[in-house]
Amino acid sequence: MRIDCPYCGERDAQEFVYRGDASLMRPESEDGMADYVYLRDNLAGPMTEHWYHAQGCRTWIAVTRDTTTHAMLGAIFARDGVR
Amino acid sequence: MADLLVEQLSGFGLATIMARKGVSGMAIGMALGVEAPAQPAFCRGENNLALIGTGAGSWFAHTDMVSPAWHTALRDRLAELASVSDQSDGYMLIRLSGEDARTVLQRGAAIDFHPEVFAPGAAATTVIAHIGVVIWRRDDDARGRPKYEIATFRSYFDSFRRWLDHTAAAL
Amino acid sequence: MSRTDVNRLTNGGLIDRTKPLRFTFDGKNYRGLAGDTLASALLANDVRLVGRSFKYHRPRGILAAGSEEPNALVTLRSGAHAEPNTRATTVPLYDGLEATSQNRWPSLAFDFLAVNQLASPLLVAGFYYKTFMWPAALWEKLYEPLIRRAAGLGKLSMLPDPDHYDREHGFCDLLVIGGGAAGLAAALTAARSGARVIVADEDVMPGGRLLSERHQIDGILASDWAARVAAELASLPNVRLLTRTTVFGVYDGREYGAVERVSDHLSAPSSGQPRQRLWKIIAKRAVLAAGAIERPIVFGANDRPGVMMASAISTYVNRYAVAPGKCAVVFTATDSGWTTAHDLVRAGVGVGAVVDARPADARHIELARRLGVEALFGAVVTEVHGRVAKAVTVRTAEGAPRRISCDLVAMAGGWNPAIGLGSNLGARPIWSDAQQAFLLESCPPGLAPAGAAAGDLALGDALRGGVHQASAALADLGIAPKGLPSFSASDDFAAATPLWQVPGKAKAFVDFQHDVTVTDVQLAAREGFISIEHLKRYTTLGMATDQGKTSQLNGHAVLAAVIGKTIAETGTVLSRPPYLPVAIGALAGHHRGQDFRPMRKTASHRWAQAQRAIFTDAGQWKRAQWFARSGESEWLESVNREVLATRGSVGVCDVSTLGKIDVQGPDAGTLLDRLYINNFASLPIGKARYGVMLREDGFVMDDGTTTRFAEDSYFVTTTTVNAAKVMQHIDYARQVLWPELDVQATSVTEQWATYAVAGPKSRALLQALLPSVDLANDALPYMGAIELVWKERVCRLFRLSFSGELAYEISVPARLGEALILALFEAGRAFDVTAYGTEALSVMRIEKGHPAGNELNGTTTAADLGMGRMMSTKKDYLGRVMAGRPGLCDPERPRLVGLKPVNGRSLIRAGAHLLSPGQDAVAANDEGFVSSAAYSPTLGLPIALAFLKLGHQRHGERIIVHDPVRGADVEAAICNPVFFDPEGVRVRG
Repeated sequence: MRIDCPYCGERDAQEFVYRGDASLMRPESEDGMADYVYLRDNLAGPMTEHWYHAQGCRTWIAVTRDTTTHAMLGAIFARDGVR
Repeated sequence: MADLLVEQLSGFGLATIMARKGVSGMAIGMALGVEAPAQPAFCRGENNLALIGTGAGSWFAHTDMVSPAWHTALRDRLAELASVSDQSDGYMLIRLSGEDARTVLQRGAAIDFHPEVFAPGAAATTVIAHIGVVIWRRDDDARGRPKYEIATFRSYFDSFRRWLDHTAAAL
Repeated sequence: MSRTDVNRLTNGGLIDRTKPLRFTFDGKNYRGLAGDTLASALLANDVRLVGRSFKYHRPRGILAAGSEEPNALVTLRSGAHAEPNTRATTVPLYDGLEATSQNRWPSLAFDFLAVNQLASPLLVAGFYYKTFMWPAALWEKLYEPLIRRAAGLGKLSMLPDPDHYDREHGFCDLLVIGGGAAGLAAALTAARSGARVIVADEDVMPGGRLLSERHQIDGILASDWAARVAAELASLPNVRLLTRTTVFGVYDGREYGAVERVSDHLSAPSSGQPRQRLWKIIAKRAVLAAGAIERPIVFGANDRPGVMMASAISTYVNRYAVAPGKCAVVFTATDSGWTTAHDLVRAGVGVGAVVDARPADARHIELARRLGVEALFGAVVTEVHGRVAKAVTVRTAEGAPRRISCDLVAMAGGWNPAIGLGSNLGARPIWSDAQQAFLLESCPPGLAPAGAAAGDLALGDALRGGVHQASAALADLGIAPKGLPSFSASDDFAAATPLWQVPGKAKAFVDFQHDVTVTDVQLAAREGFISIEHLKRYTTLGMATDQGKTSQLNGHAVLAAVIGKTIAETGTVLSRPPYLPVAIGALAGHHRGQDFRPMRKTASHRWAQAQRAIFTDAGQWKRAQWFARSGESEWLESVNREVLATRGSVGVCDVSTLGKIDVQGPDAGTLLDRLYINNFASLPIGKARYGVMLREDGFVMDDGTTTRFAEDSYFVTTTTVNAAKVMQHIDYARQVLWPELDVQATSVTEQWATYAVAGPKSRALLQALLPSVDLANDALPYMGAIELVWKERVCRLFRLSFSGELAYEISVPARLGEALILALFEAGRAFDVTAYGTEALSVMRIEKGHPAGNELNGTTTAADLGMGRMMSTKKDYLGRVMAGRPGLCDPERPRLVGLKPVNGRSLIRAGAHLLSPGQDAVAANDEGFVSSAAYSPTLGLPIALAFLKLGHQRHGERIIVHDPVRGADVEAAICNPVFFDPEGVRVRG
């Protein structure tokens, strides 16, 4: 699998560490914290995920990937992300 | 007979530079008198100082000839602009030059070293044989052969040399 | 020496008659020629029997000429280099080659296990689900050992693989998979336009079928044309022509895996040369020009030695100048079978008859006349006779049986496009009635089939198809083509009318390698396994090392006939990587033995080796575990000595492996406050503080000491094994959670070499090393930190203690690390300095009740560890909310305690569980577990740390340490986990 890092360019997925769904917003208060920590949607289709380019630029990126076709649909710096 | 020269470098200086919030690469470049590249690249300026792009807003500062106060001088010049950490001891540096240097790198890293893609001045942070490396291409040597430098963490050096020696033996 | 290759034709072939080679098969000596494969050389020497089949141990001969060969599996070489299940058809012959047949005992000619054939009614499809089931007790004692002995084809040498393997990464605009007609045409088109091209062909030279057939291209022999094109491609700087290279898999991201056989064709690799090279190729576009595989016909005893694929016979005759027999019958449903008849006649081999299952037509009648062979149209071969083929029975169109003598039977059942790679990513091939074949309809991204792989079997079509797909790829990539090549090719006829099976009584084989017959397929269908996927698994059809290349479609057709569906309706299965077997060594590459993973060494490693340290693994690091001294008979002696010496005088331990991170910037303190349970924004400059970080779910993630060196500069430490995880965590917090904070972080683990200097004499030792530095208690108090200069470099001295002694950690830039350890031991001679390793380190921290990895196991909270009071109530931090949920605040949660054996000597072991005295040893009564244990030389008895329900309220009580796995229960006393110096007097001295 190849991931197109916005800084380094396209790289082997083994350079990255996977975290999970990037669409979750960390709640400011206690409400919703349990859901934020434990509940996940299981999407069939395009999904945006956080990956850490551990063996590259050490930047967190948000990758949009289709979980059924494995097509890579784009990646941006997580800090610029979908929020 | 393989055309490959392997040299372990000493006397170099390396430091991590990470821009503070709101500070552009240009400002950092101006403070140091070197271009701070926005992409992975090796940019050499005057005074034996180069900046190597290692991430968005982060660079290696590099010098071929370090002095004991080198990184504190960097820190002073970049006060308020960036955070600086000395890395001169954290890394070992190997220089690979010759016509076969590219093949050796191509056998190690899953990135494209074709001269049009990785020309002099190119740089990349990646992995070879499960060992993190930062690779940059210097200007070709006096005989026009490619010259690369590879930085690995000090503790991995012996393991990296084993990979390098086995790969060079297969040339 | 007399000639043994009696079947060698006097003229022709791409072999080199000036280079004879010697080889052995089953210990017998033979001769072949350079350019032979092992299979062609065996046929040249009239070796008809090459193996025994998997289940029934039937004698088998060579069936094909390429990598689809199912029968001729031999073990190549001997000793540690032995490689089983090698297809003789793809082994380039070299001088001194040794091969042995497989799956037979005691010999190929007299195989005892052929008795299996008598049991064949029992050994039908799915027999292992039905037999060997009863009585259950016999499974382990009888059935399993029997099955293991009988199972498998070849045998491994069980010796370590002495060869080595390497790897290369390829990048290109166009990957051409297969260097036959279509592949060469595609490669030429792309290469001449300046695109970066990689061509991979599994043979020793490109050409594919062009090397085996007698076509002309552009007025010259096709094999010469192929050589010419290969030479042009090899001369272009933008082309990488890889021969002996099999593309074995297609992966996401336009990545292709291939294996290059670098030195398998040599008797031995030269020094340093790998045997094979794994290629990982990233190709923007790819053309699958893998050709087509000829189908056998299913009829009685079609597995006998002497029954071969028609196209393979043509290959042996034309390319290797070998006549595989003296008198042939050609059984065909295609035009290509007639080409084989023509090749045989030209080579002087007798052709007893051409049995064409199709109706007569003028062209074939004329061809038969010109060749001087008898043609039987609308006829079929119903059975082969002889242990090795000696005759066939033909049923003519009129229905009459006729026996024809022959020692060679050519089968031409049609052609299956070799599309396997195209289904690796899950796209199912679709049946084409027009082509009577399964074709790729949707393909992996960027890949398209061309030539026979796309169903274009005629040569002209294949060449045009290659050019077309390459130019489509160039157009996609925005590369302007520099003229499109066109070729004139000799006509060839490719008509075929599939004949799937011939009904009859004798065993008719569908899958040769797994011994699956028509009866098996019919039985499976009767038992309800009518899905194409069930057929495969229940009968094992297509599951052998050849992955059904010559069997899959015939099996589908037999199934379709039984269940009354069309082949389009039954569908087909997917092909899985690897397309051909790949040695595990090729995938491992460099990473074997000591190079399995990288080894990280500290600055004192060499010194420690010289001190006879025994090393242990901490993650990828090597750490000295203890230092053996002569006279010490076991590790416990060494460790006890190190502990007592450190607590009695001074010890030095390398602690460089702990993670170290510079966290800097105006908001550095703010970030640390949000990550640690306790306060760091308020930490004074020049002070260190112990901190604990939680995961977002409230459990403890890691601990360490963090020191503040400036307003905006913190030095964070982590445990060795969590260094990377904490770095990732800090980066997530500052990049994703709070990007508004102005804080930077970078790993400096490798920049500093750090040693713990611990014990009552530690200050004195350091003062001797650093005479100009004020080390008095008030100048550098407990938890203080200073910078100093040593050997012209800035170094750091921390007053930290993991051992509970008066102790320091001294950090120097790593290049000075070796010099420092030498200097410490030089200065330390006056103080009886002792080196101590991780064992002694561990004993001392257990004596002081410090949690470490065993306690920070991901299931414990700060409160469990007795650190509940460290959790700030005045700020928010990661994990605070979830740490406050009822389950994590339950006062009955197991709490950290110390344990001592009541009898003062029984070992308490980590992992044991805790029960109140008198309670039954059942899970419901489980009150906790032992996390760390050691013998304490300081206290003179074994001790342990444990988590015990309400443990903090039960000091002084008794508890039973229950260890059913390793031995007897131990009665223990519950106590303060700080066994030694609980007031912490020594550390503050």
